[in-house]
Amino acid sequence: MMYWVRHITAYAYDQPVDLAAHLLHLKPRALPGQRVIHARIRCQPAPDHATETHDHFGNAATRIFIAAPHQHFEVTAEALVAVDFPPPPPPEATLPWNIVADQAQRGCDEATEYLHASAHAPALAEAAEFARPCFPPGRPVLAALLHLNARIATEFRFQAGVTSISTPVEEVLRLRRGVCQDFTHLMIAALRGLGLPARYMSGYIRTRPLPGQERRRGADQSHAWVGAWLGERDGWVGLDPTNGIVVRDEHVVIAWGRDFADISPLRGVILGGGAHHLSVSVDLEPAGD
Amino acid sequence: MTAPVDEMVDGAGRIRPHWRNLLGAVGGLGKPQLEERARRLQRAAEEEGIASILPGTKAAGMGWRCDPVPLPLPAAEFAALEIGLAQRARLLEAVLADLYGPQSVVREGLLPPALVFGNPQFLRVWRRANAPPRRPLLQLYAAEMLRGPDGLWRVMSDRAGLVSGMGHAVENRRLMGQAMPEAFRAAKPRGLSTFFELWQDSLQRLRPQQAGAPAVALLSPGTADPHWFEHVVLSREISAALVEPGDLTVRGGALFLKTLQGLQPIDVLLSRVEANTLDPLEFPAADAAGGVPGVLDAARHGALALVNAPGAGLAESPALAAFLPALCERLLGESLLLESLPTLWLGSPGALAQVLGTAEPILIRPAMDGAAPGEVYTPALRPRLEAAPRAWCATWLPTASVAPCFSGTALAPLPLALRLFAVSDDAGWHAMPGGLARVLDGTAPMAGRLPRAGWCKDVWVLTEEEAMPIIGPAAQHLPPIAIRRSAGAIPSRVADNLYWLGRYVERLDRAARLIRATLTRLRRGAPLPREIAEVAALARCLREAGLIDAEALPGGGSTTALAAALAHAARPEGAVGQLQARIADLTETVRDRLTDDMHATFNLSLRAARAAGETAGTGLESLSRAMVANLRFATAVAGVASENMVRGGGRLFLELGRRLERSQAVLAEIGLVLDQPPARVEAGLRLVLELCDSVITYRSRYLAVLQPAPVLDLVLADPSNPRGLAFQISAIQAALAEVSGLAEDPLVAEAGALSRDAEALVQSILASPEQAVAAAMLPPELSAMADRLGVLSDGVTRRYFAMLPVARSLGLDGPVAARAEVLVP
Repeated sequence: MMYWVRHITAYAYDQPVDLAAHLLHLKPRALPGQRVIHARIRCQPAPDHATETHDHFGNAATRIFIAAPHQHFEVTAEALVAVDFPPPPPPEATLPWNIVADQAQRGCDEATEYLHASAHAPALAEAAEFARPCFPPGRPVLAALLHLNARIATEFRFQAGVTSISTPVEEVLRLRRGVCQDFTHLMIAALRGLGLPARYMSGYIRTRPLPGQERRRGADQSHAWVGAWLGERDGWVGLDPTNGIVVRDEHVVIAWGRDFADISPLRGVILGGGAHHLSVSVDLEPAGD
Repeated sequence: MTAPVDEMVDGAGRIRPHWRNLLGAVGGLGKPQLEERARRLQRAAEEEGIASILPGTKAAGMGWRCDPVPLPLPAAEFAALEIGLAQRARLLEAVLADLYGPQSVVREGLLPPALVFGNPQFLRVWRRANAPPRRPLLQLYAAEMLRGPDGLWRVMSDRAGLVSGMGHAVENRRLMGQAMPEAFRAAKPRGLSTFFELWQDSLQRLRPQQAGAPAVALLSPGTADPHWFEHVVLSREISAALVEPGDLTVRGGALFLKTLQGLQPIDVLLSRVEANTLDPLEFPAADAAGGVPGVLDAARHGALALVNAPGAGLAESPALAAFLPALCERLLGESLLLESLPTLWLGSPGALAQVLGTAEPILIRPAMDGAAPGEVYTPALRPRLEAAPRAWCATWLPTASVAPCFSGTALAPLPLALRLFAVSDDAGWHAMPGGLARVLDGTAPMAGRLPRAGWCKDVWVLTEEEAMPIIGPAAQHLPPIAIRRSAGAIPSRVADNLYWLGRYVERLDRAARLIRATLTRLRRGAPLPREIAEVAALARCLREAGLIDAEALPGGGSTTALAAALAHAARPEGAVGQLQARIADLTETVRDRLTDDMHATFNLSLRAARAAGETAGTGLESLSRAMVANLRFATAVAGVASENMVRGGGRLFLELGRRLERSQAVLAEIGLVLDQPPARVEAGLRLVLELCDSVITYRSRYLAVLQPAPVLDLVLADPSNPRGLAFQISAIQAALAEVSGLAEDPLVAEAGALSRDAEALVQSILASPEQAVAAAMLPPELSAMADRLGVLSDGVTRRYFAMLPVARSLGLDGPVAARAEVLVP
């Protein structure tokens, strides 16, 4: 599938902002299974200074600095991306999950990093206990992961506004509700608690209108899901616990990290500004099918 | 338990050769003299502010105590240590460069991934997936060592993040020079200045742009930091500007210092701020107002050299010691010369069992927290170690060597930890020929970050030959620096602090004068009616100045409440005590703008004033003496400011603060005192002269004839009376003109107008047929003038110190993606 992505983030401030610095993770990553044909970021007002680097995880990181007073700030990230992630191996053919955990412990693979606790996704015993029924000893890892993925999708209610980024995973586990990042952090914490590497994927998901309705512009959102490790042979698979599905060709990857804090799409530090109002609009449209 | 090595005495009971000269000198002093020298060291340390004078802290027992007996190191031993230290620093630099680059030592299994990826000191923002890190990552390094019974020094802790202790070593050396001159002459230790010149030079060479004069700054969290004093000392040794995060800003990808005259570039930043709070843009958990947004990106792209690199603290991980020998072979192709104390990471197979099964003293530390002091293993720790062995490491502690330490009454052998420092330049690593020896007296932490206080020794590296070779590269050819006569590079924050220091010192002076004038009258017993009126007028002034409450105003002829209120005001928690505390605080914030002598003058006279206030009690006489101590302090500040501070810059703001405060006080007091019926004006005039310290001048000009116009001329319009209003205003005008550098500045013009209006006021009284009546009409006009001065003060604050609004973070909310309802699989 080929998609046009347009992601607009706009801040309106009550008072002028004298100085602003922003860190953006808004350019989709080129990957096997994801071709980035075009990607660009525009800012209003134009930055006085901007830098672009690849961070520790290999994601594109853009930093912009604005020294002129402004009361409105808008970032538009656009990209044309072709997505076709290879299907995962048959679940029953994957390695037993405890063998995968051993490989991760012993090895010095890139997976090792994602075993370790991070601020928003600790290796949490309660989360591991929640996941344990899906992980009897010897069960093929992907079978167990799909089971957990489906359980989170069915046992947790999607509800915006009950959690925030500071809501700890324990609380999400208790509430049994939240949004995509909560479910993602929860699943990562559970997998890390079991000794399995897991990473936080940030990007977009294709949405479709309800039957009989027009597609509304800007109605999409940025999204988060889990990258789970199947062992040295099979590598990584994307699992979306919010929707209980495997990532194939309806997701676009921007970046990955240990948790949200490593790769938040846009954050910044401002001087001045008073109260601020944020609006975000995302469009993910199929292109040139 | 093995017997410790005695640094001073060998196995056969003979004094070691390198102690002989020193011991001769120390022994020659005799015990009473040694006690006196120890006291002198302590006193000097307190006077110079190592022991804090900040409110809420007691001077005694604070800070570092320097032992009068130094630790001598023979030249040959130091040379060997320097080689080992240099290799260890090279090794840690190579380890950091690998971990912040290709990470091959992790892939090759030379370092467990958990010690890197699970390490809070591994700052991912300093690593880039496809670019090697900027070098050097380490420019400054220290190692703390113990000498075991086999006579070898081995490293207990590596310091690579906030490398503390050099400033203390410098200060110890200075204090020792004053307190133990005989020992210096006898032992002839190597000096430290060459080393600091070399370091300063190497820091300047790190600057990214080779054009222009290098600008080096030392970034400190501020006066609240336990090592603030060290930051002051170090910034002087290396001629770096001492700055705080709020002084800095990143513009156009480069770092600048906010000064009164605009932004000044900074090329090299020696940071004493915790790396993960340095840049709120990169560390979302950091306080947005406590760091410098964008500073890491400036360093990342080479516009700024950060020393040490952010993330260098990773090399402090105590568990790293277990892997250094293999890393040294792999990365340097050399054997490790200066070994670590035997250390095991408890995540290694079998390590935990070894610790649990041993009876030897073992230091248990968090594997990845070099700041933690650690604790000696006891079975009580066992459950914690077993629960998460990978979080811990164990270091076998030798019986540390001992050296004679002076407890205050006697010399006793106590164990030591030796901290040595090294810096790098193009030619390699150079050790400081000195160091800090911590006395492990049982209360001192074994390892970890340098504590706020403790007992230490100066380390003397002895010379073998008469002439020491000068190390270090030739001097750099720097472009000539443009001559600046104004102190324009003074940070706005410092100017602000000096301005308020000036105001508070003057406020204290005024409070002391008012209280003393009141006390003088209260002490006379049966007062004359004139004095009763004066006390009432003074009480109104005291009330207006916030020194007493309304209830304390004398009523019905009783002054008991007033006397009690004055006694309360003088106490540390009273109005005067609080002014003193605020001044102590501000003095500390401008510490780096004062020479040691100036600081000592401030410090000693303020401490005397505070002590007098604390012990004054309720006796009118002792209270009066306490007020005199405050006046002495204010006089000392004025003297230091006029005799020792360079004209311009900082002094101008101190001056502005003092003059504005005094002019407002003069107006308020004259207004309150004259606010009575015309018949009583003469008594008021007498008091006006007294409060303005102008009695003698008046008498010499007009003898005993007291008339409103001459009095008011002297205190309001005569520009030659340093206690009068006109003098203050013309000083304000001059200072404002100098600071702004503009001939036609609105603030300067306003000061000029005020000066003319004061003159006109006096002229109008002179022209009046009834001077006393005219004088009694003055108060509203004086009050209007005081308001205008208030507006002028606001103008100064807004123009020069207007603090930028506090920084805050944005965008820490997460994504909220839709789910199933609208997604058709």
